[in-house]
Amino acid sequence: MKKIKLVLLFLCGLANLSFGQDCNLAIRGKVIHLENNESIPGAYIWIEEIKNGAITDLDGNFQIWNLCPGTYTIKIQYLGHQDITETIELKSNSFNKTYRMEDSALDLDGVEVHGHKDAVQTTSTVSALYGEGLLEARGENLGESLKRISGVTSFSTGNSISKPVIHGLHSNRIMILNNGVRLEGQQWGAEHAPEIDPFLADEITVVKGAETVRFGPEAMGGVILVNPGELPTKKDGKTDLYLLGATNGRMGNLSITHENGSEKIQGLGYRIQGSVKRAGNIQSPDYYQSNTGLSEMNFSGTIGYTRAKLGTELYFSHFNTELGILTDSHTGNLSDLEAIIENGRPFSDGEFTYDILNPKQKVSHNLLKLKSHYHINPHWKANIQYGYQANHRREFDKRRGDLNEKASLDLELYTNTLDLFVDHTHENALSGTWGFNLIQQANSNVPGTGVTPLIPNYDMLNAGAYMMEKYSKGPFEVEIGARFDYRTVATARFVDNELEERDLSYQNFTAFLGAYYQISPSLTFSTNLGSAWRPPNVNELFSQGLHHGAAAVEIGDPDLDSEKSLKWVNTLEFSGNQTSFELTGYANRIADYIYLNPTGEVYVSLRGTFNVYEYLQADAFLYGFDFSGSHQFTNRLSAYVKGSIIRAKNLDTESYFPFIPSDRMDWGVAYKIGQEGNSHKFTVSNQLVARQKREPDFDLAPAPAGYALVNFNYLKQFPIGENKMNVGLQISNLFNTSYKEYMNRFRYFTDDIGRNITLKLNYQF
Amino acid sequence: MKTLQKLPLYLLSAGVFAFASCESDDPVIENDGELITDVTLHFTELDEAGNPTGPAMTFTAYDSEGIEVGTAPTVETVNLASGKSYLLEIEVANSIENEDITEEILEESDEHQFYFLGSAFVGTTAPLTYSYNDDNGELIGVKGTVMVVESPATNNAQIRIILRHDLDKNYPGADNPNFENYNSAGGESDLDITFPLVIE
Repeated sequence: MKKIKLVLLFLCGLANLSFGQDCNLAIRGKVIHLENNESIPGAYIWIEEIKNGAITDLDGNFQIWNLCPGTYTIKIQYLGHQDITETIELKSNSFNKTYRMEDSALDLDGVEVHGHKDAVQTTSTVSALYGEGLLEARGENLGESLKRISGVTSFSTGNSISKPVIHGLHSNRIMILNNGVRLEGQQWGAEHAPEIDPFLADEITVVKGAETVRFGPEAMGGVILVNPGELPTKKDGKTDLYLLGATNGRMGNLSITHENGSEKIQGLGYRIQGSVKRAGNIQSPDYYQSNTGLSEMNFSGTIGYTRAKLGTELYFSHFNTELGILTDSHTGNLSDLEAIIENGRPFSDGEFTYDILNPKQKVSHNLLKLKSHYHINPHWKANIQYGYQANHRREFDKRRGDLNEKASLDLELYTNTLDLFVDHTHENALSGTWGFNLIQQANSNVPGTGVTPLIPNYDMLNAGAYMMEKYSKGPFEVEIGARFDYRTVATARFVDNELEERDLSYQNFTAFLGAYYQISPSLTFSTNLGSAWRPPNVNELFSQGLHHGAAAVEIGDPDLDSEKSLKWVNTLEFSGNQTSFELTGYANRIADYIYLNPTGEVYVSLRGTFNVYEYLQADAFLYGFDFSGSHQFTNRLSAYVKGSIIRAKNLDTESYFPFIPSDRMDWGVAYKIGQEGNSHKFTVSNQLVARQKREPDFDLAPAPAGYALVNFNYLKQFPIGENKMNVGLQISNLFNTSYKEYMNRFRYFTDDIGRNITLKLNYQF
Repeated sequence: MKTLQKLPLYLLSAGVFAFASCESDDPVIENDGELITDVTLHFTELDEAGNPTGPAMTFTAYDSEGIEVGTAPTVETVNLASGKSYLLEIEVANSIENEDITEEILEESDEHQFYFLGSAFVGTTAPLTYSYNDDNGELIGVKGTVMVVESPATNNAQIRIILRHDLDKNYPGADNPNFENYNSAGGESDLDITFPLVIE
């Protein structure tokens, strides 16, 4: 067999620009043939230290931006040519070089295989959290972590339940992918946090465009990709240990990741990862919030085998959490609810304890993924991915006697997903993906709760077929795609002791058109217009009953139509030597947006009165801007700013929707001493959040006042022998300011979290 | 190697198998154990020595569907005589499950307490006075004494009965049966019913 040096490498996006970094050096270059000086388009450039890279354009040019001063290993690969590896030192100036590649016909040494890293390649706006930014976010849940990306906020229920919001949309209107599998939990509930451990990721990417075509229904506002790193393919063991402690809630968090490759079997690699977290009642500046502790235990494992043509990966992740719900938020009836809202804070000062009492939630989520791909030839690749998920959610209320031990909501959700797709790439810069996707889901209420179930049992089947093609020419890229989905939902439940069964079906066609243009080496513009859809959720269709926490009776409507949206997102990105900025503007028109509307009626029972809400549909228009920028004043001093503005109108009633993030910005100054790998960095930042002036006609309480917080961050990086150590000290809400966040549902009952000092130790060996 | 090359095929068959075997369970009728459908007030007249005399008058509030969406509860009008004292016993039941909830309340006596509010008990011209008189001396309100004034300012008033669950009984003022700020003692309302009162 003729030995060819075959390199399989998948690049993670074109340029993942982070925010608030004071690094803006660049590596630029040109790749040409050694024999005839002709340029080589499509060569892979990989910078090992930042786990990022680029592809040379038609003229053989490439650029990699946003690099900090330091040492970098540049690896250049092109099919049929010998690799070039070079270590360079970046100081205060950017690096520029032309590389000549030698034909590998002369080199018949062994086959080299690289690990795979699948990532989204899109003309939509993409932002990512990795490296130092992700290090700062360690210990936070997914929703909290992603607030570091401009345009992403969170919709929270207290401090421990936090759902990411992209451009004003959340829950079932965005999608979260756990290592490439769409996370299927009970995302419909406002108090149902995503069932994922952020510690399993070495990069969290947010796509801010409508991505229904690529990922299926519901990816309307955007997509969050929680991705582990590449699996090793050679023996090279690495362990990453995190130890965290925080004063507020006396939180302790431990995470460990170990990866290695096989010495005997080339291409075989594995990773195991686990984390535990325990926290007690958190403290607002003036009091403890009763019953806000949490306990979390997660682990995941991956094993992968990569040969020249075939790649296979088996992945498993387990998520398990138990979390307390603020005692005071659980009200018996409307008069209870009004009393605590009027009080504006819990009636008692509370005390510290790790105990978690009712009301509480216990959630577990298991995910299994099998993925395989096969290179049919250098241009075509076939992929198959199967995902299995089991979600078990139990919610416990304060009840009488033995019923306290029983969950009042007990749901088991099983999901199978199957993806079959082919990728193709050609020398003429045309590339694309064609695929078929099947989602099958079964939701069951576990009997014995002693409460009439809020949502029925159901079976769902969704089939979709799609294709996407991208054409690149020099600095210009254009992408189109289309998809058709068909979904059936069969529900069954008892209403007044009579079986009620419903069969529903939905179908939709979606498409997108996107373009990317590199105006100059430092300035790029991207635009993406995409349609998306979301079939109504089972709770929106069938809810009929009391929602305890909200002292509200919610009534669904089985005749709701699918939501259909059209989102246009544009981004201008500049990265110069000292300054970089990104400006994103978007508009999203949603037809038949489903929302919960107060009817103004109350329902009277022996228990008291309750507000009645119904699910309605109206046309919605959302638009806004995200911005972020940074400037390096000197080698040591830098500053950053980021922020977002969003508007959301109900076009039918000319009013505003509830729980839309208010205008906000964050700016800070950083001072760094030392070089990469051995440095001290001090950051002081200031978070400014305006009052939400655009309130809906009805709310239980007016929007809280705006607030300003000051945060402090210290990060020391230093080597211990061959290994790397990071020590971080973060103080959030430095002045222990009392405030309420509009996007927190518990603003009705309590102030937000007070000062929190977190110590982080990270040892990489 | 050969086996591995066939892996996609195995995956596909495993997937097909899993798809076929995964269906939701049949729904089951849940018995709402928490539900309160009937609240009965038993008033027995007390003689001068404080001993119950004669048959009890009963007034009921009932809602056959409990707290689910449906019909509003039916609440009977309480008729009491001026100048008299009564023993008031409260009975709480779930008629759908045939369950005596009063018993459960007594079992968890440290977590439950009735409060007596409304114009019948609160205000300077309130015609009724309540005092707890539960069997073990704990303040619950399953048993108590109601006194009607000799010459009430009005013949019509409202009796608002609230059952609090998971409250702090040691909270200052929580021992007052007419404690209007019952919310500040924590907990939540299991019952909140207003009976019309006519004094003859």
